[in-house]
Amino acid sequence: MSRFLGITVLAAVCLVFAGALMITVWQIAGTQAPVDLPGLLADNLEASGVEHPITAVLLNFRSYDTLLEIGVLVIAGIAGISMANTASLEDPELRTSDSLLYALQRWFVPLMLVLAGYLLWAGSDRPGGAFQAGAVLAASGVMMRLGGIPMEFLRPGVLLRLGLALGFSVFLLVAVVSAMAGDAFLAYPDAFTKPLILIIETVLTFSIAMVLLALFVSAPVNGAEEPEEGESG
Amino acid sequence: MTLWLMAGLLFTPLAWAVLTLMVDFRKGRLVTWLGMAVQVLVSLGLWAAVASDGGFLYLLGGWQAPLGIELRVDGLAVTFVLLTALVAAACGWHASIYLDPGKPWHRYFWPLFWFLWAGLNAVWLGGDLFNLYVGLELISLAAVGLVALGGQADALRAAIRYLMAALLGSLAYLLGVALIYGQFGTLSLAGVTELMNSGDAQSGQTFPLVLMLLGLALKTALFPMHGWLPPAHGIAKSPVSALLSALVVKASFYIAARLWLDLGGELGGFALAQLIGVLGSLAIIWGSWLAFRQTKLKQVVAYSSVAQIGYLFLLFPLTWGVTEAISLQAQQGITLQVISHALAKAAMFLAAGNLIMSVGSNRVDALAGVSRFLPFSLFSFGLAGVSLMGLPPTGGFAAKWLLLQASLASGQWWWLAVLLAGGLLSAAYVFRVYRASFIESTDTDQFYHPSRSLEVIPMILALMSLGLGLVAEPVLSVMSLPFEGGGQ
Repeated sequence: MSRFLGITVLAAVCLVFAGALMITVWQIAGTQAPVDLPGLLADNLEASGVEHPITAVLLNFRSYDTLLEIGVLVIAGIAGISMANTASLEDPELRTSDSLLYALQRWFVPLMLVLAGYLLWAGSDRPGGAFQAGAVLAASGVMMRLGGIPMEFLRPGVLLRLGLALGFSVFLLVAVVSAMAGDAFLAYPDAFTKPLILIIETVLTFSIAMVLLALFVSAPVNGAEEPEEGESG
Repeated sequence: MTLWLMAGLLFTPLAWAVLTLMVDFRKGRLVTWLGMAVQVLVSLGLWAAVASDGGFLYLLGGWQAPLGIELRVDGLAVTFVLLTALVAAACGWHASIYLDPGKPWHRYFWPLFWFLWAGLNAVWLGGDLFNLYVGLELISLAAVGLVALGGQADALRAAIRYLMAALLGSLAYLLGVALIYGQFGTLSLAGVTELMNSGDAQSGQTFPLVLMLLGLALKTALFPMHGWLPPAHGIAKSPVSALLSALVVKASFYIAARLWLDLGGELGGFALAQLIGVLGSLAIIWGSWLAFRQTKLKQVVAYSSVAQIGYLFLLFPLTWGVTEAISLQAQQGITLQVISHALAKAAMFLAAGNLIMSVGSNRVDALAGVSRFLPFSLFSFGLAGVSLMGLPPTGGFAAKWLLLQASLASGQWWWLAVLLAGGLLSAAYVFRVYRASFIESTDTDQFYHPSRSLEVIPMILALMSLGLGLVAEPVLSVMSLPFEGGGQ
């Protein structure tokens, strides 16, 4: 009985929520937004150094958001490796020896690497960029990992940590150098906007792939042992 | 000069996060000490600059809002930046001695600590709704990582629960932001406020504001959404608990308060304000009662946070539909409450960590006899408790006094009962800890003595919380400084 009551209440809450959301969206859709941000964006696209509005927003106009978001990814990577030990990287039980997978790998991995490179480059004038390219790169890494290709750099050593932080560090360095040159934090010097964005995008691709891959590889095992304060372990 | 200070403020925590990621715990400790010194100096410098010249807008990347992101560097923001610098430096210093450098996972403490600091600064300064969301994410994920650090099943369970609550809160907030953006076409909080007050835009919707407040209340652990807080704050290492209770929950509250003060007048209503106030009151009573009932020392402190957070939400009824003067009084009271609770609760958790370390057990009744062996830490715990109870001359007293005046002046006398009952109940749970520590009849005479600096840090924080009531006037005057250039 109480279970039924609980479900009814939950359903009622969901219905009210969905109803209120619908009404609000409906009313908002009927009005014209007083600020024309897309128009403003189009007017300033010239100065942004790239031709695609999304890349311009992510890497130039709102680059501070992107910088912090990359920070969030690095945190996720750190939290992941902080509670895992990857001794099982060579665990034979985790290896698949599927001939179909091997065949697929031979075809797919080079293709996916090329695709990642293309997506990265495409970001300058059409949908694409570091996040998409990084995801594809990570996916090919996952595939290689499943096929048992040894990837020593994924052990929680200095290489992994360097890889996690590389993109973020370069981005941050650019930000602070521009501040020291007399402008605001993250204001790229006019002459170097495009090359700087390209460099940042490239290292970001690498680091994003690294974070995703590290989370995949090092997530499942927990070898950490730490009793709660005041309790003998 | 201020441009350099701003760059330093934004750059240092992020850069130190990367630096400490590269080295082990011991080296990270040295690097962190340097970074903390830099960060405290920069925060002090910025505070002094704003105190003498007034606040300003900082354009990131040189782009103006609504196209770019503006940071709003005003008196309130720099006060919180300075508070964060002091409390985080104290917690970091404590952690550098308290945590065992031999445990391999403690090396990840420093990068998470620095990312947390960066996120907090991002939230205090943020003037852009989406940027505030990113700041919240930075804080939440770093905090969850710190709770889970090297933990066993219980810690992981608490961390996952915390993560789920934090993500749900963030999503509700983000949905509200999306709706606001859909309606006004801008993400700048100042821009939205201006459009709403100018009156030529169609009047706003209440639902997005409710959604955002709901999400932020969940992240701040407002009753009855507080279930995730005590396990997470109780099971984390003491310096982490101190950071979480003192600063992290304040970040989401700060955003909620700014939304309310900017948009609440138009979009809010009497019923909504009263409802939030009632939930805050229930949090005070229920949280204090549960704190009184806990058997573990850190759970007592954690439930006390639930209660103290309740006071903050009295801001909502006390600033809606009242005169400017009363609203200002309530805002000042709440700000003092945030600062004094941050200092007192950090002191309390750090002292609790010392006590637990000393007696080797986390239970309240295991404290028997500790008053003789660790009087200093116990004294810090008590001093912090005095501030939580709201006895003069503490910051807690000044805060509650202002709130009392605001509720009387606005005719909302019913909050008076809550303020008084809350003080009495917090006295009850603080004295319970004291009573346990003065019992002498045990056969335990094995006490570990923590190092001197571990004991000094909570004492400094507790004294600052105590002294806040005496310097409330100058502190408050910086917060209400006018904004340079009349942006707001």
